[in-house]
Amino acid sequence: MDRHLLLISTVLALAGAVWGGLSVHRGLRTWWTLILIAAAFLVQILFLNLRGQMRGACPLRDIGEILVFLAWSLTFFYLVVGRSYRLSLVGLFTAPVVVVFQLLALYPGVMDADPVRCIGVDPWREAHSAVSVLAYGAFALAAVTGVMFLVLDRQLKDHHLKSGLFRNLPPVRELLAAVLRLLWIGYLLLSAGIVAGWLMPHRGGWSHLLTAVAVWLVYGLLLLVKQWRGMTGRRLAVAAVGLFVLSLGVFALL
Amino acid sequence: MDLLCVGLNHRTAPVEVRELFAVAPSKLGEAANELCQKTGVPEAVVISTCNRTEMYVAGDKQTVVRLQELLGGAEHCYHSEKMDAAVHLCRVASGLDSMVLGETEIFGQVKDAYRAAWEAGATGGMLNRLFQKTFSIGKKVRSETGIQEGATSIGNVAVDLAEKIFGHLKDSEVMILGAGEMSRVTAQSLQSRGARSIFVANRSYDRALDLARLMNGQAVRFDDWQQVLAQVDVVIGSTGAPHTIVQKSDVEAVRRKRKYRPLFFIDIAVPRDIDPAVAEIEEVYLYDIDTLEQIANEARTQRARQIELCEQMIREELQKAALPGLGS
Repeated sequence: MDRHLLLISTVLALAGAVWGGLSVHRGLRTWWTLILIAAAFLVQILFLNLRGQMRGACPLRDIGEILVFLAWSLTFFYLVVGRSYRLSLVGLFTAPVVVVFQLLALYPGVMDADPVRCIGVDPWREAHSAVSVLAYGAFALAAVTGVMFLVLDRQLKDHHLKSGLFRNLPPVRELLAAVLRLLWIGYLLLSAGIVAGWLMPHRGGWSHLLTAVAVWLVYGLLLLVKQWRGMTGRRLAVAAVGLFVLSLGVFALL
Repeated sequence: MDLLCVGLNHRTAPVEVRELFAVAPSKLGEAANELCQKTGVPEAVVISTCNRTEMYVAGDKQTVVRLQELLGGAEHCYHSEKMDAAVHLCRVASGLDSMVLGETEIFGQVKDAYRAAWEAGATGGMLNRLFQKTFSIGKKVRSETGIQEGATSIGNVAVDLAEKIFGHLKDSEVMILGAGEMSRVTAQSLQSRGARSIFVANRSYDRALDLARLMNGQAVRFDDWQQVLAQVDVVIGSTGAPHTIVQKSDVEAVRRKRKYRPLFFIDIAVPRDIDPAVAEIEEVYLYDIDTLEQIANEARTQRARQIELCEQMIREELQKAALPGLGS
């Protein structure tokens, strides 16, 4: 049942990406991308709720669950932050990332087919996991918005202004403001996640928390440099994308 | 009674002739009434803009000659009747007959002309239905075809690009290098979309002062433009200098102070004012006059490709409406 829900959510997100892509190609604006992604989001909630009941805890116990939670978090920030920024095209860029995360989760063996019910749930551990994944959702959307900036920047630099994508992309300044805002949101959430991680019991050693602190320090350094010294849009966007991919990779290896 | 149209426009009459028959907007209703009285037609609407004066009436074939006489004879006039006259009116309202293809101002001018005639009591069943239908067709043509897509002048292209970079221009500051006509027009376009402040730097400080006053801006001595560069978002270059004015090193010198914010250079000078190497700087977007002209040209070509589609839409809509006075 849970896999079916995840499959439905993935198909909805894929439909949003394809529909959005076709609309932009034709130079049209559409609400369907938003509607399909919102529907995918609702099914994600059903999936996570079901897995949570099976686990008796926050469903973040295997890589598959973490990927789906991350996809949910990314979708959540798109629906909340992306819309308020009038960045309607973010959906088109977000949907493929959601699809990739959920397809990876659906890959046999990535997600426990028969999840073990947790005994003795620690609230700090739960808070640490949930808030950290939420932070990664914000970082993921910052990366997505960064990619949008890089596409627009290249088009403006090369004077390629005819595509439907160019017409629909939000202005450079709005994209950069969104990247920065999302990085701050992610950073504050990650800070809260690290505090919760510090307070949770550490039966498996400190390497996980130390890695989180290292990620926190690097994002902090990026924000400090941006605020204090300033940074070109391209470097901020590349850093947002690079740091997200790198930190995700490091946690996957752990 | 059939629908008749007699008029002259920028293609058939030079400005010396057009200005003789131009009617002030406040006199359009009166002109329509006068037309009814002079020619004995029951309904009339007079449209008058800088590019055209046209009369739409409900009349018969003999009326055409009398209308042409009112416009100084047949030499500069064109006329059409029934369906062709209705198609012509729709083309005019949709901007298909304008000097700048697809321009939007004409739609409002036609609306005002009709309202004036209606208020003066010069319209009846035939013209009321025709004009109402024309407005709905005009809206459809504009929303369902690409007839008004893209910017067709250098100034508008520059403004569109500035909005693509900065979004709302209300937080943007502009510096003009050179107090020429082109830079004034472009800066005014930016100002009309909300640009916050304008700085004018010119070799002749007096001319800079004049232009700055005209635009509610601030004059800058030409030797000081590098200092202003640190705070502005858009730079328009249009000096008559025989060499480039803005070098890569000038921009590099203020990058840190600008905190690497995006900077948009519009170079409409020939020879160019901005060294092309400036575009190598990451946060700089540089567009010279050839690039801007090419973009405007592409938009014009794109609009021209839409004409056939627009005309087909107009004919279909008019045929569906089966309006009185258009014949079978």
